[in-house]
Amino acid sequence: MVDIEELKAEFLNLEFDTKEFSLDADKVVTVAKMSGETLPEFTDPNHPDFQAPPAYIASLAAGRHLPIKFPKLGGIPMDGGKAVTTIHPVRVGEPLTGRTHLHDIYHKTGRSGRMIFVVSRMQIFDASGTHVATSDSRMVVREKPAT
Amino acid sequence: MSIETIADVEFGAELEPFQPDTSLAATGPFADAVGWGDGGRFKDHERARKEGLPGALVPGIMAMGFLTSMIHRWSPVAKVEYIDTVFRAPVLADQPCTITAVVTDVSAEDGLIQLDLTVKNAADETRVFGTANVRLPLG
Repeated sequence: MVDIEELKAEFLNLEFDTKEFSLDADKVVTVAKMSGETLPEFTDPNHPDFQAPPAYIASLAAGRHLPIKFPKLGGIPMDGGKAVTTIHPVRVGEPLTGRTHLHDIYHKTGRSGRMIFVVSRMQIFDASGTHVATSDSRMVVREKPAT
Repeated sequence: MSIETIADVEFGAELEPFQPDTSLAATGPFADAVGWGDGGRFKDHERARKEGLPGALVPGIMAMGFLTSMIHRWSPVAKVEYIDTVFRAPVLADQPCTITAVVTDVSAEDGLIQLDLTVKNAADETRVFGTANVRLPLG
């Protein structure tokens, strides 16, 4: 059985990935419109406050979620959820940097065994270095029972 | 009634339920736009079944999009500062679902509210749930 406290001590809060990107207006509009969004801030690239909606910001974290040396937990990892914090509007067409670290590791135990939750956090910065948004990805692994 | 300021919001109020478009015509372009279009699990029922799924799925983060869209329909001046979605079970494409939300906290002096959000399928089973922190003008 994996020792959660050991994992936390070894891996939490250490940046393991940096990603540079620039958002594409057409893709941002598609995501907004297909989600049922009606506000022009998210659907009209010509709007003066045009910006990415939270669902698009969540998609930016779809790269590497775990440090290279993170141990295999045994079960099949599942997408347990996403969270987005917007501090400033995330602008389209501007250079952005995403820095990712493991934010939390915890477990829940039920009748079928232990589920391990690993939260990777991408903090997104604009070209001036301002922290504009945070995207959390929650991975869930059902631990294989010890044999 | 459209919400214009924090003064318009009552604790416990329920937002107008929202029935989003879960058709393949919506999930497919969404998946392509976020780079998840390969493989067909969000675009093609047959290909999804070959992967062992019950059918094509609505991408999880699309449910987050549904939730924020619902909030903006309720209040076009609302700023979603934080949204957390828990993917409890898959939402199937081409299957109707309904989103509901209730105001669970109101901080009038800060202009902040908290919403509990739920996505249910036609069988009334919760597939996604979450919370959102939303800022509104003080008025």
